[in-house]
Amino acid sequence: MNNALDIKNLLFKWNKKDGFSLKIKNLSIKRNKKVIMFGQSGSGKSTLLNLISGILSPVSGTIIIKDTITNNLSSNKKDLFRANNIGVIFQQFNILDYISPINNIMLPCFFTNFKKKNKKFFYNRAFNLATKLDLKRNILLQKNSSQLSVGQKQRIAIIRAVINKPFLIVADEPTSALDNKNKVNFLDLLVNICDTEKITLLMVSHDTSLKKYFDSYITLEKIVQK
Amino acid sequence: MKILINLAFQSLFSRKATVFLTVISLTVSIVLFLSIDTLRLGAKKSFFGNVKSGDLILGSRSGEIQLLLYSLFQIGNPTNNISWESYKEISKKTEIAWIVPISLGDSHKQFRVMGTTKEYFQKYSYRKGQKLQYQFGTHFQNTFDVVIGSDVAKMLNYQLDDSIIIAHGIASQSLHDEFPFKVKGILQKTGTSVDKLVLVSLEALEAIHKDWKAGSKIPIKGVNNKKNFKEQDLIPKEITAAIIKLKSPITIFKIQREINDYEYEPLQAIIPGIVLTKLWQIVSVTENIMLTISAMVIVSALIGLIAILYSTLNNRRREMALLRIVGASPRTIFSLLLLEALIISFLSILFSIILTQLLNFFLFPILDYKYGIYLENSFLLLKDFYFFVIVLFTAVIVSIFPALQAYKNSINDGM
Ligand SMILES: Nc1ncnc2c1ncn2[C@@H]1O[C@H](COP(=O)(O)OP(=O)(O)OP(=O)(O)O)[C@@H](O)[C@H]1O
Ligand SMILES: [Mg+2]
Repeated sequence: MNNALDIKNLLFKWNKKDGFSLKIKNLSIKRNKKVIMFGQSGSGKSTLLNLISGILSPVSGTIIIKDTITNNLSSNKKDLFRANNIGVIFQQFNILDYISPINNIMLPCFFTNFKKKNKKFFYNRAFNLATKLDLKRNILLQKNSSQLSVGQKQRIAIIRAVINKPFLIVADEPTSALDNKNKVNFLDLLVNICDTEKITLLMVSHDTSLKKYFDSYITLEKIVQK
Repeated sequence: MKILINLAFQSLFSRKATVFLTVISLTVSIVLFLSIDTLRLGAKKSFFGNVKSGDLILGSRSGEIQLLLYSLFQIGNPTNNISWESYKEISKKTEIAWIVPISLGDSHKQFRVMGTTKEYFQKYSYRKGQKLQYQFGTHFQNTFDVVIGSDVAKMLNYQLDDSIIIAHGIASQSLHDEFPFKVKGILQKTGTSVDKLVLVSLEALEAIHKDWKAGSKIPIKGVNNKKNFKEQDLIPKEITAAIIKLKSPITIFKIQREINDYEYEPLQAIIPGIVLTKLWQIVSVTENIMLTISAMVIVSALIGLIAILYSTLNNRRREMALLRIVGASPRTIFSLLLLEALIISFLSILFSIILTQLLNFFLFPILDYKYGIYLENSFLLLKDFYFFVIVLFTAVIVSIFPALQAYKNSINDGM
């Protein structure tokens, strides 16, 4: 399979009657590609990312990631699959303020089968990635994360998203809280890491000027069925 | 699991102000409950601790609770005395192992004077059969010797060989000042009513009342001098009550019936344990009310705990969503909240154990000294342990509601 993500005949409905519903006949993203998704506010972009990450379950249809039909997994397996294979970056609140930056990075490891002998490997990986993203060791080792700047928090979110060597990263408007300089910085880092680590990237944004960083773009309104 | 415990601790620590207040309110309520329980048990213990000496109490016919109260606790006044002849007659019964007479009526300052015999000091036992011990001195040697309880000595600051004057009746201004007594012995603390007694011999009581008729002093020539008494003059005419110990407890009801049927004088015999239990049932209504109130205080503190958990749920939705994203299941989120409640209540229990021990250490002596409430300093008993388990259990049960809410939120909360 050369597709990282395959969505077929997807139907999702929010519980409420005449609530929002999302219908997608077909959506595929090739392996190691970086795709940006646009769409109007309320069109269902975040909902789609939640479906892909397995937080939400579709009414019908299939979502295939890494050759696994994820929507058929039991809810526990889904959570484990996400921790192992999908890195997620939010627009904001990517960080638990009350734990240290390094523990924030290690969170996905804590929720997977984090073996003793792998421990050292993951910590080294975290510190190496941090150095690449210009985060010094002592910053990661702070007691808690409340002192970090917005830019630092987003960079830590990148490391957390890739720490478990995921197959796919989904990011929901991760740059909208950043100023121009930080935005460029952030995208450079994200794109760079996805290239070197061979991770497929699906990112949602309102900013069409970011197209140049990506291999292709999707407009949600064009793929949903009414 | 380890990650959850760490997360719960660090999350609670980051909200230390509110968490601390919750812990405090829970701690205070637990301490309140434990203190009331200790007081209750202490009261019960010292109450029942008084009845260890005899199998029966002999007195004039009146209410049995009344007889119990004045004979054992020196509370209230006897309406009638019993004659020395009847006492002598009854003490002849072969089933009786020993019988100790007591005589009440006079007082010294705020303390009551009790006339008795030397046997009282050997036979009286309390709590788990402990005997009276002397801090200083010994029992009376001469007619005008007194032995005082430890509270009397402490409050009035008496030492051996101090001279004291007994007043006629209770709270009376007329003193037996022509007969000063000498402190011959000071008893050790017992935690019973003996601590507040001034004990004299029956003969001494007889002597100081020689020139009294119907409650007022009638000066008769010559008798107000100690040296004028002869032995036979000092045989008491009546006593208030007597404590009876039988050779075998099987005969209790037989002797009780015989005394109640005594034909020359209206007498009654009570079984102190039974009467005390009746009395305690009356008293224990307040006891139960107090316990119920303090249990309510704990319940309200637990409601405070879930209020705290609930109120933070909304602020923590993003936090929970983030945990979900990194791999936590809704069940994990649920457990996290329960764990936080468990930690809060566990901390509260820990603090309340420390606090009650401190209270025991610093407050018990004060209670004893100032109010004469003697409480045994017992470290955690098995019942306290059960109580803690119940508190923990209830805390977890009530926290299920906010935890369930978090669970529901986390099913849909993602990006
Ligand atoms: N928890 C929820 N319960 C019910 N309906 C929801 C919920 N979350 C979102 N929706 C609805 O789903 C629709 C799509 O929302 P979604 O957040 O996916 O849009 P979006 O494209 O991400 O918008 P934006 O660009 O503003 O982030 C909206 O109509 C919204 O009202
Ligand atoms: Mg959105």
